[in-house]
Amino acid sequence: MLRFLASRLGTAVLVLFVLTIVVFVLARIIPTDPAVVYAGPKAPPEELARIREKLGFDQPLILQYFQYLGGLVTGDWGNSLATKRPVLDEFATRLPATLELLFAAMSIAIVVGIGLGVIAAKRPGKTLDGVIRFLAIGGVSMPAFWLGLLLQVLFVGQLKLLPATGQFSNEVDYVSPITAVTGFPLFDSLITGNWVAYSDGLAHLVLPAITLAAYPMGLIARMTRASMLEVLGQDYVFTANAYGLRDGLIRWKLALKNALPPTMTIIGLAAAYALTGTFFIEVVFNWPGIGQFAANAMIAVDYPAIMAITLLGAAGYLIANFVVDLVQARLDPRVRLS
Amino acid sequence: MAVTRMRSPRSLSALTLGSIGVLVLAGCTVGGANNDEEAGASVLSVAASAAVTTWDPVRSFSTEALYLGNVYEPLIWKNAAGADEEFRPGIAESWESSEDGLTWTFTIREGATFHDGESVDAEAVKSSIEAAKDHAGASFIWAPLESIEAPDETTVVMHLAYSAPMDLVAASTYGAWIVSPKALEASADDESYFEQGIDAGTGPYSVKSYTPGEKVVLEAYDEYWNDSAAPSYDIVDISITPDAVTAQQMLTAGEVDLATNLPLENVDTVAADLDATVKTTNSPFNFLAFFNTAKAPLDDPKVRQALSLAIPYDDIIDVGGAGYGTQSRGPVPKGIFPYSDDVPQYSQDLEQAKALLEEAGHADGLDLTLSFSSENSAEARFVPLIKDAFAKIGVNLEVRAELFNQQWENGKADPATAQDIFVLYYWPTYSDAGADNLYSLFHSSEEPFFNLSYWNNPEYDELIDEAGTLTGSDRDAAQAKYEEAMNLLVDQAPAAFLYDAQAVSVVPKGIEVADFNENYPFTTFFAPIKPAN
Repeated sequence: MLRFLASRLGTAVLVLFVLTIVVFVLARIIPTDPAVVYAGPKAPPEELARIREKLGFDQPLILQYFQYLGGLVTGDWGNSLATKRPVLDEFATRLPATLELLFAAMSIAIVVGIGLGVIAAKRPGKTLDGVIRFLAIGGVSMPAFWLGLLLQVLFVGQLKLLPATGQFSNEVDYVSPITAVTGFPLFDSLITGNWVAYSDGLAHLVLPAITLAAYPMGLIARMTRASMLEVLGQDYVFTANAYGLRDGLIRWKLALKNALPPTMTIIGLAAAYALTGTFFIEVVFNWPGIGQFAANAMIAVDYPAIMAITLLGAAGYLIANFVVDLVQARLDPRVRLS
Repeated sequence: MAVTRMRSPRSLSALTLGSIGVLVLAGCTVGGANNDEEAGASVLSVAASAAVTTWDPVRSFSTEALYLGNVYEPLIWKNAAGADEEFRPGIAESWESSEDGLTWTFTIREGATFHDGESVDAEAVKSSIEAAKDHAGASFIWAPLESIEAPDETTVVMHLAYSAPMDLVAASTYGAWIVSPKALEASADDESYFEQGIDAGTGPYSVKSYTPGEKVVLEAYDEYWNDSAAPSYDIVDISITPDAVTAQQMLTAGEVDLATNLPLENVDTVAADLDATVKTTNSPFNFLAFFNTAKAPLDDPKVRQALSLAIPYDDIIDVGGAGYGTQSRGPVPKGIFPYSDDVPQYSQDLEQAKALLEEAGHADGLDLTLSFSSENSAEARFVPLIKDAFAKIGVNLEVRAELFNQQWENGKADPATAQDIFVLYYWPTYSDAGADNLYSLFHSSEEPFFNLSYWNNPEYDELIDEAGTLTGSDRDAAQAKYEEAMNLLVDQAPAAFLYDAQAVSVVPKGIEVADFNENYPFTTFFAPIKPAN
């Protein structure tokens, strides 16, 4: 286990290191002037020169890279050129909102995706299977921003059931302000018994979480269905049926456990993919997370922010895969962490 | 957002729009706001696209003007075009200039206070202007200022190195806010002093809280000196919403009372949904297309004129601005000094355009490149129209969509290898488009900065230089010189002047607003907004 951890950690550090080089070079070969991003396009040449000197953009690129690398290690990831604040502060402010959205979306995707996959595998080729496959393909193929807008039109514009945007209503700040405990606002409202804020936050969470869940849900449903069909054809299922075990027990316990490992792999990748999926969804729903910050950073060519976001995304993928490996080893005794 | 109690009704002065030029006010639903800490406070809820790139009022040079314009005040304010008076008092009660335009005296009002409790006096004004001249984002606007003195508590005297319109400079939205000297001292020691949302202005609102990238909450300043312009709403709760479609959703869902940035093409729909009226006024924003005069074939005025004649101006306004715009007369936006209705325009005439191209020796057609800013949705919509129109006169246009920063860097590189046509969205830093648009965009310079046609015309330079020195002492004479220069511009066509964007307000029933003030780009003034009687 220790060997596995050390190996994974070593690989992760190497991947992140190579990534810093690639992203740094890519961000800096784009013909833009970081001083212009910092000061705005109408700043006079003298001011731009002052900023280049102040922020070290007048140094050779290789020196800038090593300074950046040194900063990464010491916890100074640089300041956003657009907001002037430390990038890590920006993350600390915004990450909780994104993680709450991601958690909600992945919970929906896993529960609904696995459920639909198992149900679809019960009678392959029948109507219900067709409907579920249609939903799964729809979830995978429909662009998230489009789905988000459609849901807003339906649930906000037509049915007037849910709020359109934001994480909480503006009123919450005045009526029942949230007391920060962990920094995760919805969770904090729950543990402090702030039901006004909690119910308001839940209502705001529904549409963006469903939108973000659509892609991983489709993926998980398809993979679960395929795995279940394979497992259900195996001898031990036949034997279990011959013993007269209940159909539900066979499907939801005996077969599903063996069908899950491939699904777990997909869940890990889907979770990491969903992290980058928040870029679109947070813009559509005005969700105050890092996705919106990332979208703005890319448009502005705010390269310290872009680099940090890329590293975070990569770290997300690595962590997700690592967790999947651990869970797979737990589910399938044949898998060894070495 | 609910409103439980209005502050006493006040007069309405101005309402301004942001860069996209759309401000929508939706019904401020009355009833329901229970307020723990501020029982009975009236709240205006707003979706605004403006990002805060800095809270430093001296260094500010971007979209945060939306917030700073409500928190700080300049010496004087410039009124919207068509007002009875060109200016109105701000921190200064009155002002005058010497006949030669070299000495400007401002009388500072007594009784005004900064939000941090400091008193406003001549020394405070002096230190604000000295700080601006030293390190403002727009410090260049103070270039004519040689020295400034405060002979007594209520008098500030500016001595200029050359005649300049210090009334226009003092009314600027950038580099001219009057700031508490205590905060200026603190920011001198720590450049990031203001960045947590600290404010030190005198305006009708102060910054109550700031959540980066998410929210700005403004609170009415009880000690505001101007009773007749005090805010109607106690709190303005602003959600920073960069995406226009999202802002539209928030507005139509009733989550906000007001949105500063809506998709222009949806304005009519939103207005219908909200039973609102649509108001249009001038804005300081316009679009132009520079021709690269530093290389063939656009070094030939005939080719540039031919292209100017091929452009479908009306269609561009209809598609790019959803009809909200007017064809430009030169590079000066309508309503901003020294705009003139007498400056001629091109109108589409494909036959004449073809004839001119033939005359210039390009009967077989041309291949040209055009760059535009990909994040500017209006440009993305109208550029294909230019491509289609040029194809009709045998000009094949290769279009490059680039992020503005990238487009501009490419444009400032070697003109010999740069694009042939550069589409630009522009606005003057302050309300002197002679010193800005006419000078910055077309006066010759050693290195290209915003002169992206790379045009070098001594006659034009001389006219602009002369007009610049006259603006402070004889504005009519300056106007005449500028008009001469603009006529030359249109004739020589170093750029095609596409359209001046209009500011669009969607005003629902139950709300009173004033017209947009084109002198304050990006700024929506909240104090004058109030429910209709």
